[in-house]
Amino acid sequence: MTKPKIALYWAAACGGCDVAVLDTNEKILDIANLADIVFWPVALDFKYHHVEEMADTSIDLCLFNGAVRNSEQEEIARLLRAKSKVMVAFGACACFGGIPALGNFTTRDEIFERVYIESPSSANENRTFPQTLTKVEEGELDLPEMFDTVMTLAQVVDVEYFIPGCPPPVDIILKVVDLFASGQLPPVGAIIASDKTLCDECERTKEEKKIARIYRPHQIIPDPNRCLLEQGIICCGPATRGGCGVRCVKANMPCRGCFGPPPGVIDQGAKLVSAIASIYQSDGQEDINRMLEDIVDPAGTFYRFGMADSMLKRKSLPQGERRA
Amino acid sequence: MKKISVNPITRLEGHGKIEIFLDDSGEVVNSYLQIPELRGFEKFCEGRPVEELPRIVPRICGV
Ligand code: SF4
Ligand code: SF4
Ligand code: SF4
Repeated sequence: MTKPKIALYWAAACGGCDVAVLDTNEKILDIANLADIVFWPVALDFKYHHVEEMADTSIDLCLFNGAVRNSEQEEIARLLRAKSKVMVAFGACACFGGIPALGNFTTRDEIFERVYIESPSSANENRTFPQTLTKVEEGELDLPEMFDTVMTLAQVVDVEYFIPGCPPPVDIILKVVDLFASGQLPPVGAIIASDKTLCDECERTKEEKKIARIYRPHQIIPDPNRCLLEQGIICCGPATRGGCGVRCVKANMPCRGCFGPPPGVIDQGAKLVSAIASIYQSDGQEDINRMLEDIVDPAGTFYRFGMADSMLKRKSLPQGERRA
Repeated sequence: MKKISVNPITRLEGHGKIEIFLDDSGEVVNSYLQIPELRGFEKFCEGRPVEELPRIVPRICGV
């Protein structure tokens, strides 16, 4: 019997998702026993043309990490989709846009200006920016087009499963491998994590207390046993899906939402605003104003990993700008 | 002139490709390393609270 084929790819990503697969340690050998890995840039030397030469749907499982922020990533997403029976959005970037989707608060031109002109390490008097096509003496060079807007994988191609997390924890990766090996993958569309919120899985004491102010980390030493939010520290637990093992909160750090919204929640940031508003002690407009002032960078905190997947998707583009 | 593309370069973090130009006798005339990717941390870290940066910039490279 021929072994099933697995492909792994990274788009706008950090490589942490690939390392998470390697973090399965000796179990990675089980994966290699179980399946042939036919494409995996971080670890194996297969090229794009190898994938192009494969028959359609000949890859059994594609674990795609990273968001889609340029035309090459979009093309490879479409290519791997055509070649794969099952497409998995692997990690927060692929599922929700992740950290790269903080770029949706800005535009391509603003990023170019900062990176290639203003940054202290740039000397670029001629204002040279990356071009999709450059003529050189020997011929032509091409680069992908960077988009203004970072997209999730599912905004570009059909996706069968979602594995959230930045990166996904090893126990979830192994569970997916088991489900795949035993032919027991869940119904299409499933998000492979918990069906509860992070707060439901968090063991800190919750006293249903109102908070009088919001603290930044340097303004308070948090009690390690009490709910962080009830101590006035913004924690995204109420608006985040469980399944990570409450990793950050156990390290006395507030959650930042890398597992995305819990079941039934469409917009993670909006849910968090309502959760915070409901526990904030407010006797009128003055208190509400103070709360708004207390929260530094609300958009970048409430949509830390989920801007591409949010209802707003991005900061509005100047009139006449490219692709939104 | 003939062009050989090494795309993508593998087994390192990040994205890259190499274009090698050869003359008629197969000798290398020139080669270019291109980085086809930019996420823009330099820009989108602006405006984020300083205490949050240790949780944002590790995602520059997670290898
Ligand atoms: S989800 Fe996190 S670990 Fe995975 S590629 Fe994105 S930033 Fe890296
Ligand atoms: S808000 Fe944070 S600290 Fe409080 S219960 Fe939820 S996850 Fe735990
Ligand atoms: S606590 Fe929140 S930010 Fe941390 S790993 Fe879990 S879901 Fe992600």
